[in-house]
Amino acid sequence: MNPFRSAHIAPFLAVVLFFVINAPVTRAQNASPLAQMPKPLPVKAEQVELGRKLFFDARLSGDGSLSCATCHDPARGFSDGKVLSDAYPGARHFRNALPAINAGHRRLLFWDGRLSDLADLVRDHITDAQFMNADGRLVIERLRQVPEYEEGFKKALGGEPSFGRILNAVAAYLKTLQSKDDPLDRVLAGDEAALPPDARRGLDLFAGKAGCVACHKGPLLTDEAFHALGVPANKELFEDPLRQITLRRFFKSLGSPGYTKIQDPGLYAITKRPGDRFKFRTPSLREVGRRSAFMHDGAFTSLEQVVDFYDRGGGPVAEKDPLLRPLGLSAPEKRDLVAFLSRLASPHPPDAAAPAKLEYRVRKLGQN
Amino acid sequence: MRRLLAATAAILAGSTLLAWATQGEAAAPPKATPAASPPRATDLGRPIRPLGLLPDVPVPPDNKIMPAKVELGKLLFFDARTSGDVSTSCAACHLPQLGWGDGGDLSRGYPGTQHWRNSQTILNSAYYRKLFWAGESTSLEGQADSALTGNLAGNVEPDTLEERLAQAPEYVRRFKQVFGTSRPQYPDVLKAIAAFERAVPISRDTPFDRHIRGDRKALSAGSLRGMRLYQTKARCIQCHDGPLMSDEDYHALGLPENEQFKEDPLRQIALRYQFYSRGVQDARDYRTASTDLGLYFQTLRPADTGKFRTPSLRELVHTAPYMHNGVFFSLEEVVDFYDAGGGRGPGKSPLLRPLRLSKAEKQDLIAFLKDLSGKPILVAPPDLPEYEVAR
Repeated sequence: MNPFRSAHIAPFLAVVLFFVINAPVTRAQNASPLAQMPKPLPVKAEQVELGRKLFFDARLSGDGSLSCATCHDPARGFSDGKVLSDAYPGARHFRNALPAINAGHRRLLFWDGRLSDLADLVRDHITDAQFMNADGRLVIERLRQVPEYEEGFKKALGGEPSFGRILNAVAAYLKTLQSKDDPLDRVLAGDEAALPPDARRGLDLFAGKAGCVACHKGPLLTDEAFHALGVPANKELFEDPLRQITLRRFFKSLGSPGYTKIQDPGLYAITKRPGDRFKFRTPSLREVGRRSAFMHDGAFTSLEQVVDFYDRGGGPVAEKDPLLRPLGLSAPEKRDLVAFLSRLASPHPPDAAAPAKLEYRVRKLGQN
Repeated sequence: MRRLLAATAAILAGSTLLAWATQGEAAAPPKATPAASPPRATDLGRPIRPLGLLPDVPVPPDNKIMPAKVELGKLLFFDARTSGDVSTSCAACHLPQLGWGDGGDLSRGYPGTQHWRNSQTILNSAYYRKLFWAGESTSLEGQADSALTGNLAGNVEPDTLEERLAQAPEYVRRFKQVFGTSRPQYPDVLKAIAAFERAVPISRDTPFDRHIRGDRKALSAGSLRGMRLYQTKARCIQCHDGPLMSDEDYHALGLPENEQFKEDPLRQIALRYQFYSRGVQDARDYRTASTDLGLYFQTLRPADTGKFRTPSLRELVHTAPYMHNGVFFSLEEVVDFYDAGGGRGPGKSPLLRPLRLSKAEKQDLIAFLKDLSGKPILVAPPDLPEYEVAR
């Protein structure tokens, strides 16, 4: 059943308009390029509540200076609102912080897709020297010093704080972070008024002439695949020593050949296959309307720049994906497309108020 | 090598004779105390090595001391970029102006943590065969590794450290000059820091050393009486023997607990973390962890519970507070503790027994202990190599 059709059973004119406006979408719909957000993943409330506390707790970092929420701030769409991420003190990251929202529905995580499991994702963030730089053995002793955690872990996971339970609890919380009732889903559900006319035209371009759905498809608007676009390198990589350190160390730790070169080879660093050079995982466009920087290195700071980039057929790179070609969009079409993209955001983001800070308490010595 | 050993032995023997000779002509022995000779062996039968001058610093054959290496090690020692969040250099817990310790009873540790032991002085650490309070490390290089990467200390990852150093051309140039590498390598970081520690924070010119070398005015009459007490009635020599004034062995003293472990959540975290990460038995040890088990963590022998390596007494004027848990802030407290025969903790060494020192004897002993310290060895923090943009 075509969800577009249900809203257009009334006047004849509207039906005609519908076919004119929706022809591309409808055609694309045959291959199901777009879909509503999936149902929320099953979670246990106690685990979510525990995970939420942990998500906001800086005790999960080596020097107690940053929590998950530092770079995945609910107020900034679960990202950091920055072009390139800050990372652990002494480091500055060379990639843009992806939003944590909808992570539970993704098959691949990170810009290079190197992980696919939420608990792994949490582990990688907590222990990586450039993210949170913490040792799980120390973190659990910190949590054992907080009575609310001792109680929370017992209630939610049947035991005292352990590193594995920390990962599972945060993963449970992440599963609850998902887009809801955004205009795209409402249109897909048949509510044509969910988008104003310009954005509605933009949706058709998205699914039609602009060809966005070739990669940004499915419920999360991503094909979960890797593509080289020829995105221009962020100039900070050539100006900021801390970003250069962070970049080299990252590729060195992955055993990536030629790690000393200041460039981000994307998927190649993981697979070491030359054909994967400069490929990055297609990001979800859900909530893209909340973002202020785009692409793996934040090369663009407006949706207009992004649309112009694709309209040109991407950038100059030998490995460029053949899907990219000049689009020949007119100025009004670009504006419509931007109008659509900028409305890709949930009206009511997940409840993400930071929980009250939990204090350390003195324990009875010798009763551990 | 054999020649070096022979030379060292000769120096030791010489200083031995000198020490015995000079103390023979020391001031009259305290009243009511038989003029006992220094024992040749401890009560447990271990031969006692005489006090004397420190020999040349032992240098491992794979890490020769060179001025350029020492200079590089100095830069690294003072460079906070050797820690995870660039907050904590070696010098943060080993400040030259605080006797190359940190002045606290328990060390401050890495941000977000509080350490669980006293920060030991680096002074003369080059002479130890084992480092750390329970001898966990067998070389200065190994000690530097543990301190740089330890979660309660430097918390740095070697890959990160190498790339930070590679970002500063002056470091790249210095590492190449000293080690011949095109990029700084982590093991060479350890070698450079160790070379610095073998070359600079070495103290061999104390009033005691000058006395040994024949300076009749180096020690006061009280100090000379204290030196005799040290080797006789006060029994210090039972463990603090030889030129380093340490038997480098492990003893339980029955020390009182540091109250911070009862009151400070971060200290409690550090204590449990140590139990957890050192792999002791969960049910028996971790669950009841309330005190530092010392050597036991390494041997898992119950008899080693609470044993710590005898520290050198050289430079102790500059290195208060004392003991692995920093419970004593003055030499008076330390001397009173030993005078009482040590503490009440379990497994106490049979070498400890009440000494019945008079007030005057205690004063003399402390006078001598103070003369084991020289002028402070101060090193100004150097200008550090700066990051530059890589092309």
